[in-house]
Amino acid sequence: MVEERRILYEHLDVPDINTFDVFCQYDGYTRFEKAIAEYQPEDIAKMVMDSGLKGRGGAGFSTGLKWSFVPKDIKPCYLCCNADESEPGTFSNRYVLEKNPHLLIEGILICCYAMGIETTYIYIRGEFTLGKKMLDAAIKEAYEKGYLGENIRGTGLNVDIYSHPGAGAYICGEETGLIESLEGKRGQPRNKPPFPAVEGVFGKPTVVQNVETLCNLPFIVGNGVEWYTQMGPTYADTRANPPTPDPNTGTKLYCISGDVNEPGVYELDLGLTCTELIEVAGGLRGEEVKAVIPGGSSAPILTHYELDTRLDFTSLTLAKSMLGSGGIIVMNETRNIVDCLLNIMKFYAHESCGQCTPCRWGTPWVRDIVQRIADGEGRDSTITRPKFGIAENGRWGDTGETEEIYEDLDLLESVANNIANVDTMTWNTICVFGIAVSWPAVSYMRKFRPEFEAAIREGKLVTLPVAEATVPPEENYAYQQRFVPQEFADL
Amino acid sequence: MSDELIQIETPFAFNEENQREFDELIGRYPVKEAAMLPTLHIAQKQAGYITPAVMKYVAEQLEVSVMKVKDVVTFYPMFFEEPVGEYVIRVCHTLPCALRDCKVVLDHLKEKLGTDVASETNLAKGTTADGKFTLMKVECLASCDVAPVIMVNDDLYKNLTPEKVDELLAKLAS
Repeated sequence: MVEERRILYEHLDVPDINTFDVFCQYDGYTRFEKAIAEYQPEDIAKMVMDSGLKGRGGAGFSTGLKWSFVPKDIKPCYLCCNADESEPGTFSNRYVLEKNPHLLIEGILICCYAMGIETTYIYIRGEFTLGKKMLDAAIKEAYEKGYLGENIRGTGLNVDIYSHPGAGAYICGEETGLIESLEGKRGQPRNKPPFPAVEGVFGKPTVVQNVETLCNLPFIVGNGVEWYTQMGPTYADTRANPPTPDPNTGTKLYCISGDVNEPGVYELDLGLTCTELIEVAGGLRGEEVKAVIPGGSSAPILTHYELDTRLDFTSLTLAKSMLGSGGIIVMNETRNIVDCLLNIMKFYAHESCGQCTPCRWGTPWVRDIVQRIADGEGRDSTITRPKFGIAENGRWGDTGETEEIYEDLDLLESVANNIANVDTMTWNTICVFGIAVSWPAVSYMRKFRPEFEAAIREGKLVTLPVAEATVPPEENYAYQQRFVPQEFADL
Repeated sequence: MSDELIQIETPFAFNEENQREFDELIGRYPVKEAAMLPTLHIAQKQAGYITPAVMKYVAEQLEVSVMKVKDVVTFYPMFFEEPVGEYVIRVCHTLPCALRDCKVVLDHLKEKLGTDVASETNLAKGTTADGKFTLMKVECLASCDVAPVIMVNDDLYKNLTPEKVDELLAKLAS
């Protein structure tokens, strides 16, 4: 059994840890003191780069690399802390904000010191009223104790932190959507480039970081890079040529919900498997795992064949899914995948910001198709078309065979792939919301196709047994490009 | 928005406490417009919902056009343009809550309150006749470990069952 390794969450349950005095009893702000006493700002940036810390918000982009893109000569530079936790299945930031807000403030201070930033906005979800109250109280306390404001601890460092409430829009968790929203506009994402690191909020260089990422900083500074890199696996990234080391270091706050006995946040080293995580969370509620969503509702679904997939950034990318924000949703054998997809598509149809036409029209269209199938009115006329797959030459293409397609399933895939194409990973929208829609839509439909076909055929929702509902991995149209290179297999 | 429309509304201005909060807020940003969301939150807290008069006032305070304020208000689901009940009940219905039977909770609330679920364009549909409650469905409230959850105004209620809903409604009604 895998043991929890609590670092960010270590003192979470200590009574009154949200107050400055108690926080200081548990090494609070000593890591920041150490940073300003022993290191130059460049040293901190180098440590973060060497630690291999990857952004915990969803994209998993290297934090050190992101910092290196920020021009040094343009001031002011801003830090936006993304606390707009809205991805279904994710709830780890909420506990940090409600119970241990000083840890976040310390992380922000270290980031500000390293990057020469004087103003930080914490964009906090509008629904997090308790979190905002606790955070505001902590910020006020930090000002009183001289850890925020002007000339902090006599070092000449000036840092201001302001909390900024959102108002219930999912898209404001996207970094440029967040910036637009912070500027007082509709939260509609911007075209990139320019990236926020170059031109972000108020037209100035901006570092946008998730709460969890910032909370890692005190521990990297306090315990050193060597200690940090011991946690989690490092792979050889074979996507790069020549292969480069691809670290998945540190712990992750895995949020597990759905059909498990003890849902909650578990802090574990990156790189454990789905099966192990379900075991840690008190085991499955039910007989059999039908499906696992590994990284919030946007992530492509994993079937029971894929439960040995390691839950880290690299392994899940290779499995054609993503760790995202680490929101794991487990479904047991009683769940109907069509119904689950309908729920998720209603979410996306509601949350599309309406800026790009493919997404504005496509998401409700996908929802309506799934609704139709779930209502038993799915169109069952079949179309015969060339079957695509691994052709004779070993590459993806026309196999020379034909296959029968249910009209609505073909339409569903076509509409979703025209918002964002999951096979080529290109999207027809400004932001990656498009891919967040078509990933679940296409992966659910491909991997659990028998259940969709049954719903259309029978004219009602039919929950098939797990083995029958799932397309086996040999059917490469559902799992295509899913391969594990030899170097990975040994790890 | 025509001036006529604005004039038939009761004029709006921040009370003393909110004015102080607003003054502090405005200093945080290099441009006034950036204070839009927090300002609208304060205004909604005072007025109950965002009337055209509120929009006009906020626009004047932030030195932007009324249309820009309207633009923002219509984008964000947390701002209401119609009157809502004293207690706004937000029921999460996204997948993790759905897997934990949020539908039972929602149906129970509908039955107990004797009202339908409000839609974003028709809040009256989900408001009880006495104006005490507004029932609405919302997307993920980021508390999936304690699903199903609802929010009543600013408070989160966890692991709900029909019995717990009864207790809660009795407490709120008294």
